[in-house]
Amino acid sequence: MSRRRLRGPRHGLRLARALLGSQYATMLEYRAEIALWALSGVLPLIMLAVWSQAGVTAADGLDAGQLDRYFVAAFLVRQFTVVWVTYSFEEDQLHGRLSPWLLQPLQPLWRYVAAHVAEQATRLPFVLLFVGVIALVHPAALWLPSPERLLLGVLATWLAFAVNFLLQSVITMGCFWTERASALDRLLFIPYLFLSGISAPLETFPEGVRRLALATPFPYLLHFPARVLAGESVDLLGGFGALLGWAALLLPLVLGLWRLGVRRYGAMGA
Amino acid sequence: MGWLPRHGRVLLRFWSTALASQTEYLFNFSVELLAMAGNLAGSWFVLSLFFRHGQQLGGWRWEEALVVLGAYTLLDGVATTLLRPNLNAIVTLVQNGSLDFVLLKPIDSQFWLSTRLIAPVGLPQIALGAGLMLWAAARAGAAPSPLALASTTVLLLAASVSLYSLWFLVAATSIWFTKIWNATEVLRNVLVAGRYPISAYPSGVRSLLTLVLPVAFLTTVPAEALLARAGSHPLPLALLVAAGLFTASRLFWRHALRFYTSASS
Amino acid sequence: MGTNGDAPMAAGAGSIQVQGLGKTYRVADKLPGLGGTMRHLLRRRLRDVVAVRDVSFSIEAGEMVGFLGPNGAGKTTTLKMLSGLIHPSTGTVRVAGHVPQRRQRSFLQAITLVMGQKQQLIWDLPPLDSLRVNAAVYGLDEADSRRRIGELAEMLELGEALTRPVRKLSLGQRMKAELLAALLHRPEVLFLDEPTLGLDVNAQARVRQFLADYNRRTGATVLLTSHYMGDITALCPRVLLIHGGQLVHDGGLADLTSRLAPCRAVRLDLREPVPADAITPFGTVEQMDGREVRLLIPRERLTEAVAGLLAHFDVLDLEVSDPPIEELIGGLFRQGGRP
Repeated sequence: MSRRRLRGPRHGLRLARALLGSQYATMLEYRAEIALWALSGVLPLIMLAVWSQAGVTAADGLDAGQLDRYFVAAFLVRQFTVVWVTYSFEEDQLHGRLSPWLLQPLQPLWRYVAAHVAEQATRLPFVLLFVGVIALVHPAALWLPSPERLLLGVLATWLAFAVNFLLQSVITMGCFWTERASALDRLLFIPYLFLSGISAPLETFPEGVRRLALATPFPYLLHFPARVLAGESVDLLGGFGALLGWAALLLPLVLGLWRLGVRRYGAMGA
Repeated sequence: MGWLPRHGRVLLRFWSTALASQTEYLFNFSVELLAMAGNLAGSWFVLSLFFRHGQQLGGWRWEEALVVLGAYTLLDGVATTLLRPNLNAIVTLVQNGSLDFVLLKPIDSQFWLSTRLIAPVGLPQIALGAGLMLWAAARAGAAPSPLALASTTVLLLAASVSLYSLWFLVAATSIWFTKIWNATEVLRNVLVAGRYPISAYPSGVRSLLTLVLPVAFLTTVPAEALLARAGSHPLPLALLVAAGLFTASRLFWRHALRFYTSASS
Repeated sequence: MGTNGDAPMAAGAGSIQVQGLGKTYRVADKLPGLGGTMRHLLRRRLRDVVAVRDVSFSIEAGEMVGFLGPNGAGKTTTLKMLSGLIHPSTGTVRVAGHVPQRRQRSFLQAITLVMGQKQQLIWDLPPLDSLRVNAAVYGLDEADSRRRIGELAEMLELGEALTRPVRKLSLGQRMKAELLAALLHRPEVLFLDEPTLGLDVNAQARVRQFLADYNRRTGATVLLTSHYMGDITALCPRVLLIHGGQLVHDGGLADLTSRLAPCRAVRLDLREPVPADAITPFGTVEQMDGREVRLLIPRERLTEAVAGLLAHFDVLDLEVSDPPIEELIGGLFRQGGRP
């Protein structure tokens, strides 16, 4: 066989473009669904309403303006760190779409990464629309971040997405062993809901609980990027270090589980 | 056969087959129990944060706010038991075209679609929610009279009807947008607002949660009845809201069907 | 077999009248690819598509009628209008004395629709569970539905397949169980859309046999679409042919054959090869392969031509046949012509 195989960065670029292009077209077909989904991320705004009305955060060193910025930033970070790989992997496996992908010279997880990125791109206009609504009803909650904080905030959000993706991928690999991996994913969401800072800023936690939370990846998935974006004082080195550390821990785990899972998948003759 | 016996028999069949087709009971049950415990512990924790430096949240003391959380837990249990499984099934039916079979049956299609499935794993959550309401009410020093208990029950039933109607309105849109899994998520996430008493919200949000999405009637109003607090809304109004939403869901479904039957291929 | 549950219906109960039936859809076109999607988002181009145009026919109670046409001809749309799932754009329909789109209870009790590519049985449970649900929905009492299930299961040779989860059944068993579920309530009118889709030859034959028996025993009206000509030739003395949304033939299958095929096919085995122009005077040469010749001869000249061929050439073997109807109809649809 002498067919020339493309390799290297040019090949990678072409592949990425093709994958992202087709995924983006698919996601556009589901724009109504994605708009709803973006809307379903209102939790930080609901919590902002309760927290600002309660007016009890001054003792924890958060004034009304800081509270506004924190929750709006949390809303934005959440929008671009949503991960749904378990559900889509489960469905693909159920419908037998996985087998042909295993035959292709591309690690199938990349397809899901591309799908998520495409979904975020589709979501972007809707998120801007929400920001516009916030500007109309509560303009005081908006702020203009400094260029370096914007850059760092985007970077932190990206890393948070990556860690969240890897975290969920660990559970997704469970699809090779059980039909109910998505149920486990629901369980993973519960500590996220209460420890990531999406319901309450970590500053309001009692000291012991806060230390416990910081030992998990959850606060770095939301609280840290949101603080960066909101321009709050934040331990940049510690935060980015923790994100990279969690990524370094989870990546080999996912790849190892993938290898085991595929072997099992093959043995089952699926 | 009369309406009631026939539909009763159909329900019996629906639910016995729904139970029979569930697999991995133990797994589902453990996941659901864990989720329930985790959710309640988490909500309890977040609620307690509001009371670290203060004595009340929107005029509600800690134990009183727990009654609202109890009502929320109960209604979430209702959603797990009946609403969620059926909503997901509607989407699938529309997607693969099997809705045709439902429409060809000599039975009300809304009845079929809303009651076809049941997930008993949500039942413990309903019990837990009711338990929390009663326990917290007692801790708050309320000694509910039989009348208060009865009106709380009626209000919770009305809340379930309202919740169901909201949910069915969303589900009906699947006729136009075939993939609407996320519509459940919107509803679920907006209803999270019901974890806190309505007076804990700023006035703008409060009117939104009363007039547009009747979250106030779902959890705050039943909790007020149980605590015999000066009610923000009287019982007849809550019943009216439930009846109105239910009627809206029926009319909207009929409209959606007309669209489906004149356009599907 | 006890047949008292299957007493023939009152005459006229299951008749179908269709007058000037039409259906127009409004569709939005979308070009493929990302660009197409974007353009579709910004500017929808709506277009009216006529799926069915001015179709009229009437079917007596107890008739078995085949409904033919290529993909997209409007067969399924018509069936869905007859069963009340789609509202017609024009024309009137009466099925078993009802206007289908009103979807009255008595109408729904009187009809059934079987779709070969869709299923109503609950996937994870044995068919029996789905049948019990249907029995309750149609208001059949316990004893009656049990008797009915027994009867139909025997006719369909389903046996223990009724107690195995649907997902574990073969395609043939699943289709037969679907038929049982669709017939439980003794419908007078059966709409069958590709009931043998994907089945192997044996399973197809069994389903056919069952439908023929069922029609004979109950006098139910059957309107059937199928891709398999065998279904139609075996079951339907009368066929409706729909093409481009219009009814182009309504009558016997034999009539259709002769309308579509005014010629017959003649195959010759010759002792020695002959030049092609020696044979052309007798008919249209389809194929010439050394000593084997295939030609088409108009029906009215057949006898004369065959006599001529036998007289002129040293013929070892001669065979006269009708061209297969699939080929005729396929040819018709490929040409886009009308018979």
